[in-house]
Amino acid sequence: MAQRLSRRAFLELGAVSLAVAGVPAVARGQGGVIRLGTLTPLTGNGGNYGPSMLKAMQWVAGEINAAGGVRGRKIQLVSEDDQTNPEAGVRAARKLIDLDKVAAIMGTWASAVTTAVAPLCWESRTFLTTVSGSDTITLLPHQGYLVRTQPNTQLQGKKFAEFMVAQGSKRVAILAVQAPFALPTQKVVGEELKKRGSELVAAVVYDKDKTTYRSEIDQVLKDKPDMIYLNGYTADVTVVLKDLYKAGYTGARIAQAYAVNQKLLSALPPEVTEGTWTIAPSPSIESPAYKRLAQALGNDDLDPYSCQTHDHISLVALAIAHAKGEATGTGIRDHVRKISQGGGARVDSAAEGLRLLAQGREINFDGASGPCDFNEIGDILDTKFRYEQAEKGRFKLLKIG
Amino acid sequence: MPREIAQLVLNGLMAGTILAVPAIGFTAIYAVLRFPNFAIASHLTIGAFAGWLANVSLGLPAALAVGVAFAAAGVAGVVSDELILKPLRPAGALTTAIAAVALTLVLENVIRFVFGNDLRGYALPIRRDWQVAGLRIAPQQVQNFGLAVVAMAAVFLFLAFTRTGKAMRAVADNPTLASVKGIDTDRVARLTTFVAMGLAGVGGMLVGLDTSIDPLTGFRVILSVFAAAVVGGLGSIPGAVVGALTIGIGEELSLLVLAPAYRTVVGFAAILFVLTLRPRGILGERAY
Repeated sequence: MAQRLSRRAFLELGAVSLAVAGVPAVARGQGGVIRLGTLTPLTGNGGNYGPSMLKAMQWVAGEINAAGGVRGRKIQLVSEDDQTNPEAGVRAARKLIDLDKVAAIMGTWASAVTTAVAPLCWESRTFLTTVSGSDTITLLPHQGYLVRTQPNTQLQGKKFAEFMVAQGSKRVAILAVQAPFALPTQKVVGEELKKRGSELVAAVVYDKDKTTYRSEIDQVLKDKPDMIYLNGYTADVTVVLKDLYKAGYTGARIAQAYAVNQKLLSALPPEVTEGTWTIAPSPSIESPAYKRLAQALGNDDLDPYSCQTHDHISLVALAIAHAKGEATGTGIRDHVRKISQGGGARVDSAAEGLRLLAQGREINFDGASGPCDFNEIGDILDTKFRYEQAEKGRFKLLKIG
Repeated sequence: MPREIAQLVLNGLMAGTILAVPAIGFTAIYAVLRFPNFAIASHLTIGAFAGWLANVSLGLPAALAVGVAFAAAGVAGVVSDELILKPLRPAGALTTAIAAVALTLVLENVIRFVFGNDLRGYALPIRRDWQVAGLRIAPQQVQNFGLAVVAMAAVFLFLAFTRTGKAMRAVADNPTLASVKGIDTDRVARLTTFVAMGLAGVGGMLVGLDTSIDPLTGFRVILSVFAAAVVGGLGSIPGAVVGALTIGIGEELSLLVLAPAYRTVVGFAAILFVLTLRPRGILGERAY
């Protein structure tokens, strides 16, 4: 027994030292390559979106490489799964930063994951691009090593409140999943409703891993709301919608479009979802960038996150090119606003932007998700919203504005 | 207020009954094989998906699809136990328990590989709740309650009155003595695993009937299942039922004093409380 253990220990030690010895060799061997990390939720609650977000980035990387790379250097993507779980996200980010030595990590989705991963990034001077919406994220002391393409809670909360009041709602209740955005959203929606003569009558934050929310719903219904804002993720909102229907609630419901999506509508009987409104930051669906990506991914109706990650990798590649090929987090940080906004020539593809930069021209990238202009803390300045309503198990577009 | 408490108790009773089914499975494996088999989480999910296939693809009604869930999770349980956990059992309960955690993650990802991450709902009509004496209760909950009670009654009758059931109790009580008496302990172990994982599968499907299913279905409830088994007394089957009802009703009643976001704490607190004050659990450890 002792002998077997020691042999095994020897093998393990050997494997570890071989691996350690191998790393610098691999890194040296690919010195000409620009390594970028993707960290999307391939599994877990965000698993509906992560794979497509990754595909969008892989497609852009392919386009850039086919057009000759970034100042002659090919992009190599290293892809990890954050499992929509902060702990798994941190492990994956550590690997991307320490082992793969990526210049940027792109595509974190859940606010909890982004909040956990961000400090690793700014401490190691790795650039982070995210689609998370929680206000707290851009308020972190990230020293500029972070931008996000998703509008923050303030902007989204205001749009929700405006819309709910426009529908004639006087008594709003919020059922929110326990997440970093739950309380900030509650606060801003409450304030914005009040300004418009309406009222937030109840707010309950629930745990996402429960199999039923009957008691939570009872708590909310006690206050007789005429509109319920379901601020959760797809898995829990599915249960909440069912339980609301069973409870006999007939008032209005509104949710984030990432929670109430087509997959949810297909999984539930239409009478349960009928009339539910959704609001989402809208991709720039008229833009050439959106159309090209839609064609490449074979999907006419792209989710906003895939459009945003398309822009993430484009911004990162263009910033590296603008920094004269300095493929580091600091280089990207110092140059990302020089290619995303300002008076340069408008471009909507990374390959086109790289070509113009090579000619020494200045550019302003507008992507598939929108204008991609950032303020000093990394929030986007402007975006469009898309309003839809569930009708017989499908979405009907009300407006984009 | 009394009506509110009554509603919470009713909700807890419904949730607890469903929880009791996999908790019986968990505790039965502990009683006979002497290790906490956390792989029960993925078998909940396997049962939920098998039942879903039977219900949606084959068009079986829920009551029959539950049988498919039982069989599929039971077979998966026996196969994975024979291949993975059984060879590790001589290395001790801790090793086997850790391997069971690993096994459950592997199985969960196999399900993800086959079915994807999307949510799926059973082909069932969703009906509005009944209102009885100011309390509301869903027809589906009543059906699930009925199915859970039938499953539990079947287990009790099996253990009390069949020869095989008695053999299982004998092995749980004293494996050496049972084996001297000529009971094939290997066969009993396999049978226990089959029945226990089958119950987990039924539990998974019952959870899914009221909600929707995805590869994380089992993982979401495993903590409550574990808490139920520990609170009731690991290894005691009536204890698992008592524990599940305690956890189910306790989680609901906690809403009177706690914000819903902290509801999960009830399971953990119950484990700590019981392990500190009465480590054998409410009913103490007895196989039956």
